[in-house]
Amino acid sequence: MSLPLLSLLIFLPLAGAALLWLLPARFCRHGVALCMGLVLLLATFVLWRFEPSGVRFQMVEQAAWIASLNVHYRLGVDGLSVLFLPATALLFLGSLAASWNGIEAARRLHYSLLLLLQAATLGIFCALDTALFFVFWELTLLPLYFLLGRWGANSGAGPAAARYFLIMLAGGIPVLLAFVLLATAQPQPVFDLTLLLEQPLPRSAQTAVFLLFLVGFGLKVPLVPLHTWLPQLALAAPGSLTALLVGLKVGAFGLVRFAVPLAPQAAQDMHWLLAGLGTLAILYGAVGMLAQSNLRVGLAYASICHVGLAVLGLASYTAQGAQGAISLLLSFSVATGGAFLLLECLRQRTGSTDIHALGGAAKTMPLLASGFLICGLAGVGMPGTSSFPGEFMLIIAALHSHTGAGMAALFGLSIAAGGFLALYRKAFFGPVLHQEVAQASDLRRREWLVLLALIAMIAAIGIYPGPWIEIVRPAAEAWAAGLGR
Amino acid sequence: MHGLNEIYWQVQASLPWLLLLQLLPVGGALVVYVLGERKAAVLAGKVFALLELALGIVAVSCLKPLDPALQLAERFAPLAYHVGADGISLTFVLVAALLTFLMTLYGMSRGMISPGRLFAVLLLAEAGLVGMLLTLNVAWFAAFSALELWAVAYLLRRWASSRAETQALARFVQYQGFGWALFAAGCIVLGWGHAEANGGRWSFDLFDLMAAMPSGKFQTAAFYLLFYGLAVRTPLFPLHGWLPNMAQHGLIAVAPALMVGVKVGIYGMIRFVLPLTPAAVEYWQPYVVGFAGAGVFFTAALAFQQTNLRRLLAFAVVSHTSLLVIGVFSLHAAGIQGAVLLAANFGLAATGMWFIVGFVFRRTGTTELHELSGLFERIPFLAIAFLSFGLAIVGMPGTPGFDAAHLVLEAAIDKFGALSTVATALGNVAAAGFLLWAFQRAFLSQARAGGHDVDRTLPMEYLVCGIALAAMLAIGFFTEPWLYLTETASQAAAARFEP
Repeated sequence: MSLPLLSLLIFLPLAGAALLWLLPARFCRHGVALCMGLVLLLATFVLWRFEPSGVRFQMVEQAAWIASLNVHYRLGVDGLSVLFLPATALLFLGSLAASWNGIEAARRLHYSLLLLLQAATLGIFCALDTALFFVFWELTLLPLYFLLGRWGANSGAGPAAARYFLIMLAGGIPVLLAFVLLATAQPQPVFDLTLLLEQPLPRSAQTAVFLLFLVGFGLKVPLVPLHTWLPQLALAAPGSLTALLVGLKVGAFGLVRFAVPLAPQAAQDMHWLLAGLGTLAILYGAVGMLAQSNLRVGLAYASICHVGLAVLGLASYTAQGAQGAISLLLSFSVATGGAFLLLECLRQRTGSTDIHALGGAAKTMPLLASGFLICGLAGVGMPGTSSFPGEFMLIIAALHSHTGAGMAALFGLSIAAGGFLALYRKAFFGPVLHQEVAQASDLRRREWLVLLALIAMIAAIGIYPGPWIEIVRPAAEAWAAGLGR
Repeated sequence: MHGLNEIYWQVQASLPWLLLLQLLPVGGALVVYVLGERKAAVLAGKVFALLELALGIVAVSCLKPLDPALQLAERFAPLAYHVGADGISLTFVLVAALLTFLMTLYGMSRGMISPGRLFAVLLLAEAGLVGMLLTLNVAWFAAFSALELWAVAYLLRRWASSRAETQALARFVQYQGFGWALFAAGCIVLGWGHAEANGGRWSFDLFDLMAAMPSGKFQTAAFYLLFYGLAVRTPLFPLHGWLPNMAQHGLIAVAPALMVGVKVGIYGMIRFVLPLTPAAVEYWQPYVVGFAGAGVFFTAALAFQQTNLRRLLAFAVVSHTSLLVIGVFSLHAAGIQGAVLLAANFGLAATGMWFIVGFVFRRTGTTELHELSGLFERIPFLAIAFLSFGLAIVGMPGTPGFDAAHLVLEAAIDKFGALSTVATALGNVAAAGFLLWAFQRAFLSQARAGGHDVDRTLPMEYLVCGIALAAMLAIGFFTEPWLYLTETASQAAAARFEP
């Protein structure tokens, strides 16, 4: 019997959250850093142990939980999810570094909530039981609500937190309902993902399940008509938290993991819907970005645009599409997350991320400016960065399956790239006009180190994408085979 | 096959536990009353409450949850005394015992005047609750109900000081008196029906009544009287008028917790209304469910209008009670089981919230939302506990509400279709909305300058909220034993309605 690695991974942050209260308040940040570092090590170890060519789900752990409902505590990873674990760990570490000096009040509470959020997020990627997944899914809301409401960046944070919480709670209902529908369609309730994948629903029942999933996960992604919470939140939340909210693509992961494979025929019947929503998101996000003056809101729109591309590629229902979508989502975790973290550093120094209050920031903060440029370029899919392989695969998949939408996507992506560069120019170049910018200091060593790790990943994956893509490929092929493609 | 069976206590246990469960709080009340206002009275009150909880656990351990019969039964013919228990009733008994114990702790920490008298009445109310939960005789049910109502009315009167409080008491007595009278009338209709059928021999015993069920209009009349009698008690929209006033002006926390912490109204519907008037229940089911569905939203809308935290919680109670009624009247095993667990969950969570409101009131002297601010900074533990209880009401995973709401949803999909189920579930989100909104204003908003210098959390407060929170999380993550305890009993209750 080998070690239950995934359980360890999930419970390590929880234990950290509890042990934190035993440390003196002065050292609690160091304790958290240690704990998150261990999580990163463990996640890397999981990745190292994972064999891409082996069976689909590996390191599976199972224990009875609620026997009369046939709900199990069941964890496992496959090629689609395993890379998200180190990405999550890295992003949380980055978030800690960015908020290192930003948290004054009730530090221990803040960090234990952050660790709770990390545990729940890791759980989302590991859960192989739909009920367990849902528990983790909803469990992320509580720490997020407190983190946003209590340590928000401005006075609008409280209402924004409540709104986010309610929207996500409402979004949980269709997801739960879909799980219940799936479970009760079998002779006895089934919540086990692998069993559900083997026994597809009758075609007539699939439509409802797929649409419910689409609404529930679409809210989190966010897909365009359901995205209204994001810009407001990006403004109200501290950047270290926005990085987590935007960087962790759990909504899109839900679509890949549950919505499409569990309702395969309905998903293929409604390919136009998924592709249309994706295209709409790309165009809307790109155009919306042009209208922004705040870098954080601009990045939020950029992320809407990019996730749209992942969704559009997914709608091709090919292995290439799924592989591209997962690669792209991972790359965004690193790139967009990194960009938001840098913006938090910027906000702490200048008090604003609005281009009207900046201008010429590259003069006083060259490291920050160049880091932001690299992350931003990775975000728009520049060749040589980590996003490029995924984006390339997605566009090819989209051009094959939905040629018109693929063309529109290309158009949208170039607008987004232009939008990003325009914002960047106004914020970082030109003369220094404001006192705060002139007096700002550049990145500290700790921040610089985390940034370096992120950039190294961006560059490494971008220049030599082979091994990473190979991890995803077998799982993506199995995914497409499950759809009958 | 739809009849009832029972197993006498001699078969299962060495002692008549149900009798002891009923006598212990009465005896405790006497002892505490005799001790008067001495220190020992307070201690005795706590000890008796704890013993009752232990007795409840013993009774559960004697029960065979997989047997659909009523168990540990006792009869004493001259008094028409007849009790019996199954998984459903013992779940409620445990909730009642736990809440009473917490209330004794709470009463201490609030520093109430004349705690001895308070505890005596509290134990008497517990006796009434436990009696209602164990008896199998509708007349005894009505009698115990009267005892409990009297105890609560006494609490309201004894600790009332202002005009508004007297008014709240009057409203309470009017509503409850009326509800009780309706229920009593329903009992008489049933007893009369039995007398007609059996040559003038009156009986109110559940087993006898099941053998001679009223038919046609009699059954409809009995259903209406019993249902509305219990609906006032529950309280079910639109018969909830007594609760907001009592919640705002009555003895904070204790009075509302006694009235709505243990959902005897819901229990009465499952135990008496469903088996005794099955045809009427099936006929009126769509109307009851329709009203309850409307109630979820209407009271949620009212809750949004409130400016007082205590009133707001009262409307939250009414709103979620409607959900329980939907579960019961789905007439589906999963729905009934879900309603029972949800009732226990709501009882625990709502009482926890009342306690916290009480703690806040002691610090600030007000529960007006616009006068409260920034409490999170001073009492973070209570704030997080408050929100956790609120989330339990909404059915957040990790609380008992999740599996229970899950079961109710499952039943509702089966019986009413997906669309109305989604609508009801959204009602729940509305509940989350106003609870969050209240939380935001009272706890998270910026503390005003010159505001109250709020005391830190006291050890006793940690204890009270900690126990309630720990119980809730423990049940939430390990629901299995509770599902096991209630499953067969719920199936038996629903079996009458399976085609």
